[in-house]
Amino acid sequence: MSQIISKPAIRRLVERWLRQGKRVIAPVQVRPNLVSYQPVRSPDQVLLEGFVRPLNSIKQVVFPRHEQLFQYRVRGKQIDLLPAPLPDVERIVLAARPCDAAALPILDHVFNWEFRDATYNRRRELTTVVTLACTEYDAHCFCTSVGSQPNDTRGSDALLLDLGDQTLEVRCVTDKGQSLFAGQTEASTRTAPTGPGPERRADLRRVGQQLEQAFERSEWAAWTNRCLGCGACAYGCPACHCFDMVDEGGPTCGARVRNWDACQFGQFTLHASGHNPRNAQSQRQRQRIYHKFHVYPNKFGELLCTGCGNCTRNCPVSLGVLPVLEAIQAEGAK
Amino acid sequence: MLQPLRETCRRLLQDGIVQVVIGYGQAVRAVEPYPVFITDPDDVGQLVWNEQCRTNLVKYLLRKEIRVLGKPAIVVKGCDERAIVVLEQESQIDRSQIVVIGVACDGMAEPRCEVCDAHQPRFADHTIGHATNETQPAERRYAHLCEFLEQPPSDRMAYWKAELERCVKCYACRQACPLCYCERCIVEKNRPACLDTSATLKGNFAWHIVRAFHLASRCVGCDQCSRVCPEGIDLRLVNLSMARASEASFGHRSGTDPQAELVLGNYSQQDQEHFIR
Amino acid sequence: MRPMTNIYQPDLMEVLDVQQQTTDVKSVRVRFRDDARGDDFLFRVGQFGMFSLFGYGESTFNICSSSNWKDFVEFCFRRTGRVTEALWSLEKNDTIGFRGPYGNSYPMDKWIGKNLIFIGGGIAMPPLRCAIWYALENREQFGDITIVYGARRVQDLVFRQELDRWAEYDRVRVVPCVDPGGETPNWTGEVGFVPAVTERAQIPAGNAVALVIGPPVMIKFTLPVLAKMGLADRDIYTSLENRMKCGVGKCGRCNCGPVYVCKEGPVFTLEQLKSLPNEY
Repeated sequence: MSQIISKPAIRRLVERWLRQGKRVIAPVQVRPNLVSYQPVRSPDQVLLEGFVRPLNSIKQVVFPRHEQLFQYRVRGKQIDLLPAPLPDVERIVLAARPCDAAALPILDHVFNWEFRDATYNRRRELTTVVTLACTEYDAHCFCTSVGSQPNDTRGSDALLLDLGDQTLEVRCVTDKGQSLFAGQTEASTRTAPTGPGPERRADLRRVGQQLEQAFERSEWAAWTNRCLGCGACAYGCPACHCFDMVDEGGPTCGARVRNWDACQFGQFTLHASGHNPRNAQSQRQRQRIYHKFHVYPNKFGELLCTGCGNCTRNCPVSLGVLPVLEAIQAEGAK
Repeated sequence: MLQPLRETCRRLLQDGIVQVVIGYGQAVRAVEPYPVFITDPDDVGQLVWNEQCRTNLVKYLLRKEIRVLGKPAIVVKGCDERAIVVLEQESQIDRSQIVVIGVACDGMAEPRCEVCDAHQPRFADHTIGHATNETQPAERRYAHLCEFLEQPPSDRMAYWKAELERCVKCYACRQACPLCYCERCIVEKNRPACLDTSATLKGNFAWHIVRAFHLASRCVGCDQCSRVCPEGIDLRLVNLSMARASEASFGHRSGTDPQAELVLGNYSQQDQEHFIR
Repeated sequence: MRPMTNIYQPDLMEVLDVQQQTTDVKSVRVRFRDDARGDDFLFRVGQFGMFSLFGYGESTFNICSSSNWKDFVEFCFRRTGRVTEALWSLEKNDTIGFRGPYGNSYPMDKWIGKNLIFIGGGIAMPPLRCAIWYALENREQFGDITIVYGARRVQDLVFRQELDRWAEYDRVRVVPCVDPGGETPNWTGEVGFVPAVTERAQIPAGNAVALVIGPPVMIKFTLPVLAKMGLADRDIYTSLENRMKCGVGKCGRCNCGPVYVCKEGPVFTLEQLKSLPNEY
């Protein structure tokens, strides 16, 4: 037996959630060629079909691109620190792609590595993630190459699968998912078939061993020279999580904030002395690849990549992790 | 088109006139062409030319990773080469140390191509193919902007708020821009910190306004910023606005005349001042 | 696991004293505004803290006081960037922010019974100083102590007055040096670069560990000298200075090869360092 729900019924649920004051984040058609996860104001904005994947990611829901860490007030010699308000609005991410949701448990590792990040964890608790299994792919999708698949439930509270004729199968994964859909679904005998997913181009779970040999390769420059050094790959990535901390405001009042940052920026590792440990773009590209496929898996047991392909989709010059890894593998095969 | 292009590049490399060709290549799997840097004459077969060669490669003349490869030849379209003209006027490149290979272009299916008047490169050292440059009246070139400006200011403000709300400050606009060549961008300077680095609405407005200030009268309208923006922000509107102001007030169209005097590099008592209030 | 507090919010500390060490280096003594926090505060020498001035930002500095000192915490900085420029005008009674202690530390317990060699250059004295004072205060635990410390010029030596005090301890040899041309008429120390001075100093290397901190070029040329003296890579220690923002293994900035310098460093042996990419 399976549980099903109609698409109109889902939209009625969205309406109810919005009325209850919850924040609903879903894929939205911003313009003809741009689908993006955005907070929705009305249920008909939510895309439930007809897109491969948004160009941004749902990490913004738990790790916003800008957030206050605390505020300060200075009066003479008196300094007061005021905690930044903890998030308290419940959020529902609807129709997220599984390659987005899968990044959340991966991010949990680093944000709880000995020191627990309070606002990250708070947002995580407040968030319910409802994914929508993929039925279409583009040339950049490679979830099957990192051991995932189009109906992966990692990080999902519930998974929706398209049954056609305006009907979705609902597979609740966690208690959160159960309670979200409790009483809203109907029992059915229909289940969605498992699609093949995008073609499996490599086994990137094992690329780490290859990388161990590849660090000093002279071809890094040739593989990555076209990188322009922007942050489009990192900011569209569901798993990239580097950040900067700066004070904004004046000497009398303001806030210490954290903003997304990216390892491809030349300033990222630049010391005040002028010394830059990663002075060349090829070193910065190499760092991104190693962090995702060698450092993170060795530390936390999981790749820092879900195969969503956004790095290449967003790249001004069609780079991103897969083209680089394929180049490494091609060289290795020679 | 492709054969003469490859042949020209092969000859330039073989004869040692250049050490590297900056051109377009495409892997079998890749969705569109991307920049390649050919150093071996035997590799010119990697070069491609098709209606998706939308990247303005001129940016790579400034990247130190490419500069170390030696004297370059660069493949440009008629629109791209305007950036080379400006870089030379601004003393950023030594034109005699660069071989420019212009390729005639019928358009790359970009919005700006519809009003292009530079299908045929004019300042290249070698030109491949032939296309006709039609004069485009200003009202046609700025039509996209004029249409936008027909909206009342409050609607335009609402539009920009909604657009810039999405900006994540990935700086792809800056990194892809052939005329954003500052060693350290103003947004990276922190003594003093002039701009909020945060990707908030305030910080985003500040960033895009400052960038426009720095490109006013210089921008050549290659619209790479618009093309690469992962959030689909139509920065072309800003570019057109800058170009129109420069043309209307100073008769200057950036990068179209190597002999022209730069708007920001020259002062004349006849300069218009009506916009200074 | 620690309780869920705001790991980015600093404690407030009161400035007790500011000493100008050189033309562009100052050392600052601070004390927790909250007495209870001060009473609970423990750290190990070699650890670092995130020091901040509100409105300007945070910077990473080694805690250069000994962990035996309970009345204050001391740090030292060179005026080079936005934060240090602002810290330069600190005065007594001012308030700064502090987070820490973070990172690993010098394995002082492991060094018990060993001869200690400290080698430093320029602004690298502070991270040596905490270990030197710790060793001197537990003098009976350690063997011979040799301190080679150099700077460009005499006036660039940090904590210069303390060099003489250290030399008064039993079985402690202090070898101060300045680069050729940096000496003053009454300079009695060595003239030469740190690697060469280290070689000339004929330091017995048996049963010794060395802590070497300084500019990359100094470290590069000192390591072969130590190898020649017979020190094994696992007995040579240094402290890395990768740029950091969070200090708690989140922001990704200090990642170097397999390690996050803020959590698994900053102290590494040369043996460990050789397994890291040269990106520090």
